[in-house]
Amino acid sequence: MTFIRAGRFVALAAVVALSATACSSGGRDKSDDSDGGGGGNAPGSSGYTIAFVTHETPGDAFWDKVRAGAEQAAKDEGVTLKYSNDPDAAKQAVLIQNAVDSKVNGIATTLVTPNALAGAVKTATEAKIPVVGLNAGIEQYKQLGALMYFGSDETLAGESAGEKIAAGGAKHPLCVIHQQGSVSLEARCAGLRSKVPGTENLQVNGADDAAVTSTLQAKLAQDKSIDYVLTLNSQVALDTIKAQEQAGTSAKVATFDLDQQVAQNVQDGKIEFSVDQQPYAQGYLAVSSLYLYLKNGNDIGGGRPVLTGPSFVDKANIATILPFTKNNTR
Amino acid sequence: MTLIEMSGVGKSYGAVSALHDVSLSVHAGEVTCVLGDNGAGKSTLIKIMSGLHPHSCGVMTVDGSPATFASPREALDRGIATVYQDLAVVPLMEVWRNFFLGAELTAGTFPLSGFLSGMKIKDMKRIADEELRKMGIIVNDINQPIGTLSGGQRQCVAIARAVYFGARVLILDEPTAALGVKQSGVVLKYVAAARDAGLGVVFITHNPHHAYLVGDHFIILKLGAAVLDKPRAEVTLDELTTQMAGGEELAELSHELGR
Amino acid sequence: MSHSVRAAPPVPASPEQPVRPRSSIGNRLLVRPEVGALVAALVIFVFFLAAAPAFRSAESFFTVLYQASTIGIVAVGVGLLMIGGEFDLSAGVITTSAGLVSSMFCWWFGVNLWIGALLSLIFCLFVGFVNGWLVMRTGIPSFLITLGTFFVLQGANLGVTKLVTGSVTSPDISGIDGYDSLGAIFSSSFKAGPVTVWITVIWWVLFVAVATWILTRARVGNWVYAVGGAPDSARAVGVPVVRTKIGLFMAVSFLGWFVGMHTLFRFNTLQAGNGVGNEFLYIIAAVVGGTLLTGGFGNAAGVAIGAFIFGMTNLGIVYAGWDPNWFKAFLGVMLLLAVLVNLYIKKMATARRTA
Repeated sequence: MTFIRAGRFVALAAVVALSATACSSGGRDKSDDSDGGGGGNAPGSSGYTIAFVTHETPGDAFWDKVRAGAEQAAKDEGVTLKYSNDPDAAKQAVLIQNAVDSKVNGIATTLVTPNALAGAVKTATEAKIPVVGLNAGIEQYKQLGALMYFGSDETLAGESAGEKIAAGGAKHPLCVIHQQGSVSLEARCAGLRSKVPGTENLQVNGADDAAVTSTLQAKLAQDKSIDYVLTLNSQVALDTIKAQEQAGTSAKVATFDLDQQVAQNVQDGKIEFSVDQQPYAQGYLAVSSLYLYLKNGNDIGGGRPVLTGPSFVDKANIATILPFTKNNTR
Repeated sequence: MTLIEMSGVGKSYGAVSALHDVSLSVHAGEVTCVLGDNGAGKSTLIKIMSGLHPHSCGVMTVDGSPATFASPREALDRGIATVYQDLAVVPLMEVWRNFFLGAELTAGTFPLSGFLSGMKIKDMKRIADEELRKMGIIVNDINQPIGTLSGGQRQCVAIARAVYFGARVLILDEPTAALGVKQSGVVLKYVAAARDAGLGVVFITHNPHHAYLVGDHFIILKLGAAVLDKPRAEVTLDELTTQMAGGEELAELSHELGR
Repeated sequence: MSHSVRAAPPVPASPEQPVRPRSSIGNRLLVRPEVGALVAALVIFVFFLAAAPAFRSAESFFTVLYQASTIGIVAVGVGLLMIGGEFDLSAGVITTSAGLVSSMFCWWFGVNLWIGALLSLIFCLFVGFVNGWLVMRTGIPSFLITLGTFFVLQGANLGVTKLVTGSVTSPDISGIDGYDSLGAIFSSSFKAGPVTVWITVIWWVLFVAVATWILTRARVGNWVYAVGGAPDSARAVGVPVVRTKIGLFMAVSFLGWFVGMHTLFRFNTLQAGNGVGNEFLYIIAAVVGGTLLTGGFGNAAGVAIGAFIFGMTNLGIVYAGWDPNWFKAFLGVMLLLAVLVNLYIKKMATARRTA
């Protein structure tokens, strides 16, 4: 960006007064107001109530999709869904306990802090309420008494990303952690390091885009040997592209998670690939599996976790996936 | 010349009556002393005159016309300035800033007018220094925080400020309460000086000795009502002291104890 | 109001303070609030120059300045407010609210971004007014009132964004009319030799200059110090305490709006949950810069230096290439050191004064 804008600004400022109230381009697509799903069941028509408990920190686009998937499944199957969330482990346990107390038919929960949640999950299984795990807790879900598990294997995801990055010839990739002390984010970076030993981690403040950008800019300027940047969510990926433009390096970018803009950047070749763990599918499958279990006694996954990821989105398949990102379902 | 005249003034906070049926008058060139114990209603009386709280009954006239003040600003605009014992100055601010606080000299030209107008800092510093010197207050540095001055000096700066800004009535709330003998003497000199300059002074205190040194008229408040209201000619220091110490109650007590 | 000399009574000169020694230049310098911070900033700067080779370039310096400016702009307002004796915990979240209001309104109704920016400005000023009005009206500490606003805005950011866009990310505004002209104001940059100068740095300097002028030379600056130092005394001498404080809250939300606009036009989309936590960075910048937590003391230059120290420490660790896991610990130590240096110098200054 340069001061070229300033020139245009003078011209535009004069026009603004006239055109301000007129319709402008680039806004919402007004023809697309109708609900694309069509039909569906009334909530509660199957008689089941399912509690859906996560460790979502409010405002995370990822959880938005998990929740959208769960809500779609509930709608499709006529289930009443009770969504609740708290990033604090102790409070999440209380939420599970609440679900047990209100005698729901089934509980779907993330198991990010297995030890803290074990007690609450146990009271659920003792009350004969089926529990499925999702998103986190792949190692511990069985031991806690959950029937099924839907999610990604973070270490595997990191390793697979690492293989792709290694195949791209990277010697010194940077793994950007946007939240301090998160087990799953550390696992991804560890997976990358196991494939590319030269991996370096960088901590940024994910709640402030300007801070993320300047920190990355500083890092890229400090160490010119960085040849690949792996970010762990989509916003940081976009910030990285901004930082890269400033720092003027040729390091490639790959990211975890997907949204419309990341998809667009994959298509434009600015992001090499995205590791998608398909959050929409996690939410959808968790609710559907409980529905099938309650309705028909089905057990999904053959006693093993059902992996929704890692699923790679790159130039090869972006054309198919790009439209779905616009619906906020991928 | 009568500046403020109060007749039958009272104030109640909800059901509590803090002041009832008090009458007093403030004359130019005279010191009216209001004496009383803690909780006697002295501060309520000040608050009415200075515009912090309006009175709830009775009549207060300023220059002969009835007045009720909605804010201290209104009282100030009528020439009634109050120097509070603990609220006289802002300790962390420089002496000159304190001197002109709320009445800054400005050279406002559009668009920097009103509250955004620039201050004539040089003039303000010069005037503050001059005015303080006139009152015999010499500070090390007009730029030093006023909190570095002694309590008596701070009271004097506040009095000098009120006088400079054309106050006609000066209300002094316990100006000597927290001071030593020497410092009190300095403050009392300024009280006398302000009186000699033709101001009407209302001197609030619980110290009859200080009051008697400068007072022309004395009012003693007890439980929100006036129990003594006499000009200097009709009262002695002993009488004031006795009244302040408890008066008849004390005599009764002395009789009971019988020694 | 007459400036009559007539009223000045002739009084024999007091025997107190017969001599008038002017305090030395050094002494006067030391009691200025920003001097401690300046010394700390220099120490940290030299430290990173020594420890981080990548830090020793003009480009790096301007990256640090950019980082400092995004914190520093709001910190100027927060500093003024703290001098005025109040806190604003909603200052971090309001930057995100500002961007969200603007972008979602324009996206939904398909109108020019200038309208959105104006609407957002009105919204932010209104929030500032409500903060101030509630604090003055109820007498409840601003810490609590703005904590309430903080939660309200945080929740509304998420809830409204979800309602409007169906996700928690605001829509991309880069295609809407007015993007280029507003971008030029809020988030353009230019090259000066090898370095990229972001316009926020220039705005930051400008805001600091304006705040400095207001505090030292404007009438209202006198009032800001007074309402922070002794609100009751200020009121008693006729300072409009309520209006001054409400104005300060509105100044903070104005600057929050400004940074919100920058973030919006630089990144085109916003995460509805962002901005949380920055309110403490603003307060830290102000305190490191010598602003007294209890109000009545401080200045704008100090706050700017505080923000600079933050930006420098934040990025210096990265330039030094240290283990990122220690990031926050380093940051904390640096900030504590800055505060300690600050305190030490202030003590030294007052000790000399009374000696």
